Amino acid sequence: MSRPIPEEEYGKRAGGAFKLWMRGIRDPYLGNVEVAPGAGAEEDEKRLKEYEAEKDQIIRKVYDIEHNRRYRLFRKFYRAAALVCCLTLIVMLLITVAYLPPVGSADNPAHNEVAAKYIEDGMQDTGAVNIVTGMILDYRAFDTFGESNVLFIATCTVLILMRNDKKKGKGSAEEEEKRDSHYEPKSDKILQTMAMVLVPFIILFGVYVILNGHLSPGGGFSGGAIIGAGLILYLNAFGFEKTERFFTAKTYKWISFSALSFYCIAKSYSFYTGAHHLESGIPLGTPGDILSSGLILPLNICVGLVVACTMYAFFALFRKGGF
Amino acid sequence: MFEWIRFVLGTGLLCIGAVTFLLEIFGVFKFKYVLNRMHVAAMGDTLGIGASLAGLMILFGFRFVTLKLALVLVFLWCASPVSSHLISRLEYTVDEDLEKFCEMKLQNKER
Repeated sequence: MSRPIPEEEYGKRAGGAFKLWMRGIRDPYLGNVEVAPGAGAEEDEKRLKEYEAEKDQIIRKVYDIEHNRRYRLFRKFYRAAALVCCLTLIVMLLITVAYLPPVGSADNPAHNEVAAKYIEDGMQDTGAVNIVTGMILDYRAFDTFGESNVLFIATCTVLILMRNDKKKGKGSAEEEEKRDSHYEPKSDKILQTMAMVLVPFIILFGVYVILNGHLSPGGGFSGGAIIGAGLILYLNAFGFEKTERFFTAKTYKWISFSALSFYCIAKSYSFYTGAHHLESGIPLGTPGDILSSGLILPLNICVGLVVACTMYAFFALFRKGGF
Repeated sequence: MFEWIRFVLGTGLLCIGAVTFLLEIFGVFKFKYVLNRMHVAAMGDTLGIGASLAGLMILFGFRFVTLKLALVLVFLWCASPVSSHLISRLEYTVDEDLEKFCEMKLQNKER
């Protein structure tokens, strides 16, 4: 027979403690594992002076180049060793270059059937005019999915290391940010005016690069980086109050999650139908149109969103420890 | 005749740009103080880029590429002076012995 036990006792048992930890009510490590600050050392005038004198003397002795034979010898040896190392490296690399196959020769290892296949059938298979995009988002889409996930995981790691949860009071994110950027020019009129002119064009250009990824050089990664740079410029000019109106940790979470899961589901479908020789039902369209080449355009948008969010999140986390 | 004028103008401007960049590199490594180095770098980013891109625009003639080059020029002329301004403003607020390096009216300086 089970009998009801009071809350206090329940929390002390293993199961109860685990449940409390799961709900986020109690953290068993909080206050137990942190290193407590030691008592400050007492300042002694005499010892401090002795220490200063000793330090001065050591510095004078060590950097007394005129009379310090060992230091002079070491400097000569250092320069000679650096020279020898550099020359050895240069000679090694030059010898390697001499063994490389000649440029443009037909039987180079780079000229195999894979490259020929991409160039010949690329447009037919993927529908993308830009062969590079066709390669990274169609033939090797799984690899690109891994890359996008690497970005997401990197943000998670930085979040673990840099997150500052405290909302108010001493040591909170706002206070720390204010202390760090105490001397930085804030709400600079020139920067604000220039950012007001430039940011829309930068973001528009980023959107153009993403949407034209399958037609012209560019794509998700470069376009996302441009948009992220525009967001960072806006943040630098106007501060966190303005950007937090439209971009918070919640926005980041949802954009990254939906972009990555859409990528995963769409590409899984495509791989499944491709592996079983089924009709996927995704029209390739006419090459050269903006709405063409099947899945490449939506996947480009997903990658661009993830990259832009990652860049902005990195900057915000390093700057303030949260956003 | 027109082709010759265009060629001479374009290459001349390109040469001016290249010389400016050379001076910039020399100056950035020669000067020791922040504001001097900032001035040299900003000069390369505005005058050097301006001359080089103007030369290229003249050499290209009226084409779509020319418009793109003009846009790049406008962007750089907007962005580079602003960043230099921010560096100089930070230096002005942070450096404690600024008077050693440049003359200034002390009564206007708010610390």
